Amino acid sequence: MKIELIVSGVCPFCLEAEKVWRAAAADHGFEFAVLDIAQPEGAVLAQRLKLQTVPALLIDGTLRAVGVQSPEEALALLQPARQEAHDRMQQMGFTFSPDNRGFILAAQAYLMLAGLGLLLNGSFLSDNAARPAFLHLFTLGFMLFMIYGLASHMLPRFTGNPIREGVWPWLQMGLAHCGVIGHAVGYLAGWHTLIVVGAVLTWLSLAAFAFRVWPVLWPAEPYSNSR
Amino acid sequence: MHKRNRLFVSIALVYGLLGGLIALVRLIDPSLIPGNVPRAHGHIMLLGFILMMIYGIALHVLPRFGGFPLYSEQMADWQLYLANAGLPLMIAGWLGWRDMLVMAGGVLTYGAIVLFGLNMILTVRAKGRGKTIPVQ
Repeated sequence: MKIELIVSGVCPFCLEAEKVWRAAAADHGFEFAVLDIAQPEGAVLAQRLKLQTVPALLIDGTLRAVGVQSPEEALALLQPARQEAHDRMQQMGFTFSPDNRGFILAAQAYLMLAGLGLLLNGSFLSDNAARPAFLHLFTLGFMLFMIYGLASHMLPRFTGNPIREGVWPWLQMGLAHCGVIGHAVGYLAGWHTLIVVGAVLTWLSLAAFAFRVWPVLWPAEPYSNSR
Repeated sequence: MHKRNRLFVSIALVYGLLGGLIALVRLIDPSLIPGNVPRAHGHIMLLGFILMMIYGIALHVLPRFGGFPLYSEQMADWQLYLANAGLPLMIAGWLGWRDMLVMAGGVLTYGAIVLFGLNMILTVRAKGRGKTIPVQ
């Protein structure tokens, strides 16, 4: 989290505000910067925010307060951000998040289903109609779901960069389930349209996965942990 | 995470999307892409998506879980080059009905597989070259 204090060289209270916020940022391990409105960076920011008063406080780029705050007021202003940071830490725990747990569990179900189908039909090497259905239950249902669950869990921990969360993993999961089931049922029933629709949905789930994972691998900010 | 390993994972994602797209086009109109498309699709997904994803993640985690540094960074770099030279050749061979290209691509891809296998064996066998490294 970043705390920015916009000050002016002629403001008599700015130094006091800087002391309060520098201490608060240091206490909580937040990034802290002081911007002078006489300097280009500070002037641009002051103009964008239409600032009339300094010192002005920004938390993660959002104007939160003006004037001089006491240490207690500073703590209160930081509380939502501290809670958010805490929640984020919880999500980055060692155990699976609910979405990744769902991917892994579903993968096992698809594995058993695919294995049973291949066994009953004797279709692993043969070319009957059930072969692509159960083969894709194995490759898309089991392998792809395992990759979804494990990669989404591990890559943010390997790189230290967050993965896109919120509605995205659930959208990815919904698309993948509908896609895999539709694709397999389409092959079994001989419905070409359902095969294509299933494939499109599965492909979209992969696109959603790539969209979520890309900033984990290549963050916008310079990569700090290259080895 | 090493840049090479991030490249492996990123390339895996690209191959996954490409392999899926080829299969989709084939399903919609089998005449649009010439050549042996099912085989190209299967290998793009297995060698391009699954295997490269495994390469990227395994090169990162296995040394850490094994407790020793990667036996050879150079071998892993060459693995990246060979794998990404081999698969496009194989795809070109199948789509263009050129068996020689498939064979050449297959040899390069197999070279990458051998480099990975040896590197992992020499890393994980608990007699690694260097000191232990922390899991991170």
